[in-house]
Amino acid sequence: MVIDSKVQGKTSTVGKEEDVWIHSACDLCNANCGIRVHRVNGVVIKIEGDPNCPGSLGTICARGNAGLIALYDPNRLKTPVKRTNPEKGIGVDPKWQPISWDEGLNIVAGKLKEIRKDNPNGLLLCTFDTPVIAQVYLNWAAAFGTVNTMGSSYNCGSGIHPLTYLINGTFQQEVDLDYCNYLILTGSQYGFTAGVNIPITAQKMADARMRGMKVVVIDPVCTNAASKADEWIPIRPGTDGMLALAMLNVMINELKTYDAEYLKKYTNAPYLLNAGGDYVRDGKTNKPLVWDVKEGKAKPFDAKANDCALAGEYTVDGQKCKPAFDVMAEHFKQFTPEEAARITTVPAKTIRRISKEFVDAAKIGSEIEIDGHKLPYRPAAVHAFKGVIAHAHATISGLPFILLNLVVGSMYVPGGYRGTNLVGPSSSWTADVEADGMIVPPPTQSFQGENYYTHEIGNKDTADLKNMMAFSMTGTSVYQLCLMHPDRFKTMTKPCDPKMLIEARSNLLMNCENFADTVQFLKSIPFIVCMDTEINETSEFADVVFPDTYYLERLNIFPNRMRINISPASNTFYWGIQQPVVEPAFEARDWKDVLLDLANRAGFLEDLNEIFNIKLGLKEKYKLNTKNVYSYGEIGDRIAKSMFGEEMGLQWFKDNGYYTIKRKVEESYPMPFINVRIPVYFEVIKRRGEEARKVADSLGMKWWDTSDYLPIPVFKPCPAYAEKEQNPNSEFSFITVNYKVPMHYHTVTTKNPWLNEVAERHPYAYKIMINSVPAKKLGIKDGDMIWVESKAGKVKGRAKVTECIHIDAVGIAGGFGSWSKHKPIGKGKGVNFNSLLSLTPAHVDWISTAVDGCALVKVYKAEE
Amino acid sequence: MAKLGMVIDLKRCVGCYGCVTSCKAENGTPPRVFWSRVLEREEGKYPSARRLFVPVLCNHCAEPACETACPTHATYRTEDGIVRIDENKCIGCRACMAACPYGARFYLKEERQYYTQEATPFEKLLYKKHQIGTVQKCEFCYERTQKGLEPACVLTCIAHARYFGDLDDPDSEVSRLLKQRYAFKLRPEMGTEPKVIYLS
Repeated sequence: MVIDSKVQGKTSTVGKEEDVWIHSACDLCNANCGIRVHRVNGVVIKIEGDPNCPGSLGTICARGNAGLIALYDPNRLKTPVKRTNPEKGIGVDPKWQPISWDEGLNIVAGKLKEIRKDNPNGLLLCTFDTPVIAQVYLNWAAAFGTVNTMGSSYNCGSGIHPLTYLINGTFQQEVDLDYCNYLILTGSQYGFTAGVNIPITAQKMADARMRGMKVVVIDPVCTNAASKADEWIPIRPGTDGMLALAMLNVMINELKTYDAEYLKKYTNAPYLLNAGGDYVRDGKTNKPLVWDVKEGKAKPFDAKANDCALAGEYTVDGQKCKPAFDVMAEHFKQFTPEEAARITTVPAKTIRRISKEFVDAAKIGSEIEIDGHKLPYRPAAVHAFKGVIAHAHATISGLPFILLNLVVGSMYVPGGYRGTNLVGPSSSWTADVEADGMIVPPPTQSFQGENYYTHEIGNKDTADLKNMMAFSMTGTSVYQLCLMHPDRFKTMTKPCDPKMLIEARSNLLMNCENFADTVQFLKSIPFIVCMDTEINETSEFADVVFPDTYYLERLNIFPNRMRINISPASNTFYWGIQQPVVEPAFEARDWKDVLLDLANRAGFLEDLNEIFNIKLGLKEKYKLNTKNVYSYGEIGDRIAKSMFGEEMGLQWFKDNGYYTIKRKVEESYPMPFINVRIPVYFEVIKRRGEEARKVADSLGMKWWDTSDYLPIPVFKPCPAYAEKEQNPNSEFSFITVNYKVPMHYHTVTTKNPWLNEVAERHPYAYKIMINSVPAKKLGIKDGDMIWVESKAGKVKGRAKVTECIHIDAVGIAGGFGSWSKHKPIGKGKGVNFNSLLSLTPAHVDWISTAVDGCALVKVYKAEE
Repeated sequence: MAKLGMVIDLKRCVGCYGCVTSCKAENGTPPRVFWSRVLEREEGKYPSARRLFVPVLCNHCAEPACETACPTHATYRTEDGIVRIDENKCIGCRACMAACPYGARFYLKEERQYYTQEATPFEKLLYKKHQIGTVQKCEFCYERTQKGLEPACVLTCIAHARYFGDLDDPDSEVSRLLKQRYAFKLRPEMGTEPKVIYLS
């Protein structure tokens, strides 16, 4: 590759012309790939992938290329504004009055003071600005004293991350594309147009396919990934879990092929269970027991066993017990390929074939030598993502897919499935382990200290929303339910009674399911502060709005975080920077600095600085004087110097862009090097569910649903599918599916005119996908205006009559259908999927708080 | 002299549209003008269907129909075989557009901008390159390639599906790929001899 001769970060002065390339990071999805930005005489004229960034290697996707045009969006909010019309609603003019920053900040700080004095949990915070969450946002919340922090709602992986934390110990999941030979993607476009770092994974995916890796995509929609795969297997939306359970049955019970050595050594498959499904424990040490086959006796799991049993029945201290794997194998027998075929529409012979192909490709028992290390070689993996968990029963739908990897022993070994950064550079961090030997995320990888084994479930006196749900990460949907049905939650100690919401860069209303419900939620909050680049659908409900910076005006030290978006596909660890390329337009201020300012004005800056000193890992020399006021840049400089030394502060990263360390074998393939086990039998889910049940009952909350807290997953249909089964002849006969198109990310890119133009010309992006067979029956032709109507709402759009969607599904892409007049580019474009969704307790996964994306709908022609 | 051409590997391409927006940024093309595009169509019947992605741009033909059609010799070939348009000679008659079998040319009828309020500073700077009343198209990023850089769409391609180089040089990457793989050109029956060549 030829790189521009103009050196990174250095200014070339041809005459008096400024001509400079500046290192930064993209912000048009949460991958934050490295970019370099070309500025000529103060005008940004080009964005390219930064060749120094191992996550992008000089390439960048459609969105990253388009970022520059929206920097100059004249529709951006120019000054802080306050509402003068107290009435709130969609389409109700807030009668904004421009105010000074001082006035705005003092109004908000005054309210913060009152709330903090009264009950800090009266403050609700919401953002999806991922680089800011761990560094500033959560620390600010802790300093203020509120536990009420939310992420985005429907449009995020709220259902997948609890699973990956539980099983692989990290926030994300990937596949070792360097060695994988057989890959199943389900509800995922990993390595095509989605994933942790799209450029590097797309490159590795293409390389792997060129050398013969087979890709099978299971998805209701023939996505970009499905189109490029060797095989697209359409599946009825919402039934994915059943398919995985049937595959587990075929592999374990029909083919009897599984990696027994891996299961014995690295999982809890050999742990003995009593009839109640609990671990049988050692009388002295309380450790779970395994059965030593050679010695014919039970031993603690960590004692040296000659060979431990995966099958059979044994008696320990007078009680009968079986290895967990034996119980699982028996349990999976109920999920026959024939029954799965009926539910998923994937033919039984296809289920058997891909199961066989998968176990064969895994080469169980084989080894490979890499850099002098002999390692297990399991070149087969399953990657399941958003599609699989967009259901009311998200957790038990997603778990069996990850189990497929464990059954063939492919997790954290060459060719297999893996988390992102379980082991740090030079093993500076590694997997934690809990008392029963199970994997726990290292602190560097955890979001809010995820440890499902020790998470304290509240008792009758302390139960609140967060601590009732041991596995949930964001809880946005349940907060909304709490506000919509206060009577149901009234016995909790910290009922949701927010006095104020601060929302930044997340557009809650567009990202939540069902406008009517979310509007009700927003209207129930007495005071709302929003921070974004423009007045969006959510800020139309705000009382004060502050203009935020665009990413090309913003500073973020290390936006590529080990936790979220440093892909092991790069075979490196790396640290970079997002830095201002131009001065903020109008009166925009970075919302991180606004938070710092508010902490000062509201009188809790000292508390915040103290928390920063602990949580940001600042070395003694760089600790903040708690009495001083610091800018984010000053804090960022101290973060960098604490990590890399005096010479490598903020300025070093501004000048040099990326600092990279090569990944060692034990960091890429940690399983053989770490002393932890992976749960395949989810004793912890069962136990935490039983605890939550007790607390819920003691609070009189009989309705609190713990029925999904199972140690071995089952298939439970989402409400739409169950209803369809009951009323097969109803005109409500389609199930919705939401999918990703490559030019858009969540709702944020629709205001970009280049991406909007590409989407407008795209055959599917702004349309409603319907299969040609049902379309013909309904008299719908390609391009017709149609209505899609669920019990919760209806949306209108142009039909795309296609062969590329499941016959029972209606496909609507992205987070479209904006209506804010301050976003004229995106206004009215595409179809708003979320309007069709219901937010009721039956539509929420009570383990992860993910929300059901399957709505049962009818489709009919609309007037032009 | 070199015979510059592009090889696009359709197996590697994932249809991400990065080439389309990188071209927008590099060349500052106004609304509705796309020098680089992706054609999509469906193939097969459900459930054995799939979508095909074919990125297209000016083919920089060795026998360009547009050049023959141009009454003012505004369209010409450089020594390296890049087909260019001299905007000062172009009279906007659009005969070349009718002649081009690939729909690769765009006529700039009027000033257009992406936001209704005003042209952005980016547009004010880049639109100087585009003269109203003339025909425009991909020039293989002439300014970049003259400096020895790759065209913007090649540089940005996340799947590394695009290659640029000298088709006459047997050691170039493009020549090597063409020897190794099955290659085809779009609409060969037109006799235009495209120098954008596809691998399938």
